[in-house]
Amino acid sequence: MHHEVLVTGYGLVAPGAMDASTLFRRIAQQGSGLRANPRFQRLGFINTAAGYIDEEQWARIHVATAKLPDITPPQVRLAEFVMLSALVSAGLTVDDFRHMKSGLFLGSNKFCANNRDFAVLCACLDFDGLFDLDRFLTEQAPTSHPFARRVDQQTHHLAALLGVADHVSTHADACAAGTVAIGTAFRSIQRGDIDIALCGAVELMASELPYYMFNSLGALCQAAEWPAAQQSRPFMRDRCGFVLSEGAALLVLESRQHAERRRASALGRVLGFAALCEAEKMTSSSRDGSKYQACMNAALADARCCPADIDHINTHGTSTQSNDSCEGKAVLSLFGPHLDRISLTANKSAIGHSLASSGAIEVVLSLLSLSEGVLLPTLNYRPEGAEFPELRFLSEAECAPIGTVLSNSFGFGGINSALVLGGA
Amino acid sequence: MMSGTTRPVYLLESAVLNAAGNSAEALYGQAPTANALEFAPDRRGFPLSVPRLPTDRFDRKLQRSVEAQSLRLLHCAARLGPRLEALGLPPERVALTAAIPEVDAPSPSWEAVAAMRQQPDLWLAQWFANTPPLHSLILLNSSSMAYLAEALACRGPMAGYCGQEGAGLDALLEASHNIAEGRADAALVVSTSPNITPALFLRETELEEGTTPLVPGEGAAACLLGVEPAKSDTRNVRIVGYSRGFLSPTPAQADARQADPFARVLNQVLSCEHLSMSDLSAVWSDPDDALLRRAIDNYPVRPGSRPVVGALGASSLLTDLAYALAAPEFAAPVQTNYLLLLNRSYTGHLGALLLAVEPARRAP
Repeated sequence: MHHEVLVTGYGLVAPGAMDASTLFRRIAQQGSGLRANPRFQRLGFINTAAGYIDEEQWARIHVATAKLPDITPPQVRLAEFVMLSALVSAGLTVDDFRHMKSGLFLGSNKFCANNRDFAVLCACLDFDGLFDLDRFLTEQAPTSHPFARRVDQQTHHLAALLGVADHVSTHADACAAGTVAIGTAFRSIQRGDIDIALCGAVELMASELPYYMFNSLGALCQAAEWPAAQQSRPFMRDRCGFVLSEGAALLVLESRQHAERRRASALGRVLGFAALCEAEKMTSSSRDGSKYQACMNAALADARCCPADIDHINTHGTSTQSNDSCEGKAVLSLFGPHLDRISLTANKSAIGHSLASSGAIEVVLSLLSLSEGVLLPTLNYRPEGAEFPELRFLSEAECAPIGTVLSNSFGFGGINSALVLGGA
Repeated sequence: MMSGTTRPVYLLESAVLNAAGNSAEALYGQAPTANALEFAPDRRGFPLSVPRLPTDRFDRKLQRSVEAQSLRLLHCAARLGPRLEALGLPPERVALTAAIPEVDAPSPSWEAVAAMRQQPDLWLAQWFANTPPLHSLILLNSSSMAYLAEALACRGPMAGYCGQEGAGLDALLEASHNIAEGRADAALVVSTSPNITPALFLRETELEEGTTPLVPGEGAAACLLGVEPAKSDTRNVRIVGYSRGFLSPTPAQADARQADPFARVLNQVLSCEHLSMSDLSAVWSDPDDALLRRAIDNYPVRPGSRPVVGALGASSLLTDLAYALAAPEFAAPVQTNYLLLLNRSYTGHLGALLLAVEPARRAP
């Protein structure tokens, strides 16, 4: 027997937004969260555009997580903050999970040391230019040095805090990790392994190391002269790379029976999921979009629906030439006859690419579109400059009731994923 | 757990790579000796030399651009290629799941430190700026999976897990579900241990005081799952069921429901085929784990591969799986033997995997 899976809560933090409705409203009003990152400016980076959680946001996160020791890594603080928001949204307390058949599914790709960490390391080079490990360790609190941290540190922190006893996993599926974490939680509940799950992703990679990584690939926006808010322009012909970002989003999923038993309100439903390996190229997909199409088709089949059932598509839309070209072709091919009534959006135009977290944030925004009946615009989108004018991306928010959304996430290395979401 | 309404899942072949060698049988041979580590002579471990990738499967460039843990993973998993190809399945029906461990997290930082040591005059920014893109890319787990997917033609469901011992079970179960629920007809499950670097020991600050540090090993392990056993096999190895749990290693955060978590995990996995402990032919686990001993009421357990080749992190489960199945008494069974593997990671994951080793016959 398959259990129906409801979304009963969510929380998020994105660049300049501490909650989902603030972010949703800001994008609806065509506000961007992308700015010049002061840290990148100080370091003299050519392109300083980024989506980042600013000091004011961190101050609020610190207040809400004041009980944590000072040395707590920021990823852990962020995870706890968003977890608390998601629980409140779901009408749950921190103690509730420990009495339920529960799971925690968290996407995150890596813990990256930042410039501050490297400055400390450099200070420990001795006169011969050798790194003095003993000195470094002596000067650091035992658990604060970057090598003591792991990519799954926030998973274990939340699992311990919530008392999750059944399923705890960390998903490292590149840019698809958040979507895969949600999809895996969906299947675990659907299968009956657990009744309730906290799932999503936490990623803080708008920092120096990822900047170098992605810049060396030519994946970041190459037009440094453009204002930060205009650099991410998915599906436009003049797009030239993505804008690095960060954030976190967590959702509470549960079986309908479980939600009804505790009289929780549904905010939406997860209807289907697919994650496929395309084994094509490291940073690009099949030129004709066929691999992305196969993934979307598999998600639709899992949801037992067909292209005609989809009202809205939240694209992966990174603003790279390769992704948007493949995704556009895939959508055209799969949804061709229905495109006149399907609207599309690319949230990364407003908040950049937060890698693992991007899929989870986009799912939350999609759920808000379902519940509010408001379709979000794609910032910097002009039909006259679009590569695929047949695709109905909106320049302005539009009010329209929708029933089903397809949300895509395609990761480096060829991990393609898609979720089908429904209204409550 | 595998439900009666889903398809059966069979283990078709395993591959291992560790200090004992590159066959599961080698784990029963002359045990390798743990060596003093170059960077910490007072510590011992089972480091491996970096294997050479078969050039008929992988681009030659990968040998020098992929870091050690991924090379072990690719080298080990490639040995399952012929068996996978013999199944004759379309690539879209072959799933790929991976457990790639914690080395992913701080390794970029550690590489930066190593770079500083080697070239202290070079500004860090310059070093990063000159880092070849391919090298940057291998810092993502999915990149290693992509190399494998391309070499072995896997284009079905995909999932990558990051963590310690628990990630191996996550990868194995996701692959099993994909077969059981019809999304794939075969699955390649791959895993690798962390590299033995100073970073590995720096993390020991997370361990409770008084805990004996693990002797780490380097290795990789992989297995091929299918929806039906091969005709030529002398036995069928069926994945009967699983159970998992999480027990916070911080005592203050462990709660009442978790008072006997291993017992719960154990009961769940045995209930998959209505078994009791007396129905089991063998149990593999850590005989020194007091919590485990209490849960199984001192039922005799066989130690896994850890004493032989060290703690292998995310690749420990698949190594133990191969080790258990290489035990001579289960090579040609005349009746069904139920084997149980139990593990607990020091970060708190509990896992139980139940296998049935049956006389060879075609799947129903």
